[in-house]
Amino acid sequence: MATARVEHRHPRIPFWRRARRIFLLAAIACLMPTAVSYIGAMTAGRHNVGLGVSSVEWLRENGGNSFVSEIENWYYSLTAPSKGGPPLNALPHVGVGAAGEEGEGQASKAYRPANLKPLIHPALPGEGVWKKAAAKAGPRPPVLLTTFRSDPEYPRFVAGIAWIDSSRTTLDYVPGLAEPPEPLAHRGNGEVPPSKRRQLVATFNGGFPLETSNAGLIYRGKIKEAMVNGIATVVEYRDGRIDIVKWKSGPGAPANIWFAKQNLPPIIDEGALNPNLSDGPRWGETVHNAIRVWRSGIGIDSHGNLLYAAANYQTVESLAKTLQRAGAVRALELDINEDWTSFISYRHPSAADPSNLLPEMLRPAERYLTPDERDFFAVYLRSGQPW
Amino acid sequence: MRLPRDISPAAASRRSFLADLVIALALAALAIVLAAGIGIVGVGAVLALSALLVWLGIEAVAVRLRRRRRRRASAPEVGDQNRRLDAS
Repeated sequence: MATARVEHRHPRIPFWRRARRIFLLAAIACLMPTAVSYIGAMTAGRHNVGLGVSSVEWLRENGGNSFVSEIENWYYSLTAPSKGGPPLNALPHVGVGAAGEEGEGQASKAYRPANLKPLIHPALPGEGVWKKAAAKAGPRPPVLLTTFRSDPEYPRFVAGIAWIDSSRTTLDYVPGLAEPPEPLAHRGNGEVPPSKRRQLVATFNGGFPLETSNAGLIYRGKIKEAMVNGIATVVEYRDGRIDIVKWKSGPGAPANIWFAKQNLPPIIDEGALNPNLSDGPRWGETVHNAIRVWRSGIGIDSHGNLLYAAANYQTVESLAKTLQRAGAVRALELDINEDWTSFISYRHPSAADPSNLLPEMLRPAERYLTPDERDFFAVYLRSGQPW
Repeated sequence: MRLPRDISPAAASRRSFLADLVIALALAALAIVLAAGIGIVGVGAVLALSALLVWLGIEAVAVRLRRRRRRRASAPEVGDQNRRLDAS
């Protein structure tokens, strides 16, 4: 009885106070492994963006994808641009000169895309007119660039478009330091290999990270992530041909494929816009399709040439319409958000004088000449092709 | 085996803390196992920790204010003391 008296002489801690202490200790206990994971990721040297973006990426990779997407949806909805606004007086300067302004003969036989018809009138000087990406590109420039206002409801926003001559170029898929996350035998340094820079004419961003794209990857003929039927796929065959297809070959790697990078369902298929460009789980764990953010996409025209488009304040639908207007018959969305959207052309051989497609693109034009965490595509002149 | 009941108040306090710690560790393990990833566990933990620390902070301030008020109320006022001195 004396023992009970000893204990009861001191009032017991109220239940709510103990519950609070338990939650406090549990939170501290949860933070310990979290800190180990976070500090490990931040010091691993796989990220080349700011701490904030790296932290968000770490959170996405560690179960916080839906949480981050919801925050992004909320943020972008709050900061959505208003329609209309003061008209632009000029477009950003792209390229180094009008396409076809030098040399005829050989050039006249080669296919050249028609200039884009402006959507907004009066058109601005140079709107939709293809310009050469490289100085001294000769009569058949491998890369052409143009800008145009892609959405009449938002006349302030300019889309950048690049056309890539597939008969003169090859496309390489280059893994980044952190993406794809799978162990790769030939990952490289996450940059354009120095040995290949002499022929480099352009580089552009890849697709969503594998875990958010509901998609697969074949790299150097080997399956790295199971392919998914019905998903849009950038394909390079072993003979060097490039195509964009709606994947139908099952989860494995067909023998004739060198690389295949999937990203979401096609936004344009056989010349028509995907009728289901609205939201849904097939469009990946990311911001909603109608949210206006930096978006990029790649398509292929009826002659087998690639078309890349990127702009700020785009929905998936407006991006698809831009690519369709540029002549794409099949297309897919690539990466989104200002931190990941890049198209860089090189004005001189050996990757000299790199230039972003649009001046508002956040990442530096040297992005892919230094190690980058995300995978990307590099466009080279075919061997034997003069610069 | 029964735990000794004849213990000092400090030991009783340590014992209850240990019990809470065990429950907290079990809760943390459960959260880590059930959550989609350690990142979302960390976000939850940071939010919970922030809320609890704010709660503790507010409580500490309130206790301090209450004590100060009580001390003031129990101490004789300075004016009263002066008046008493004048009268003497």
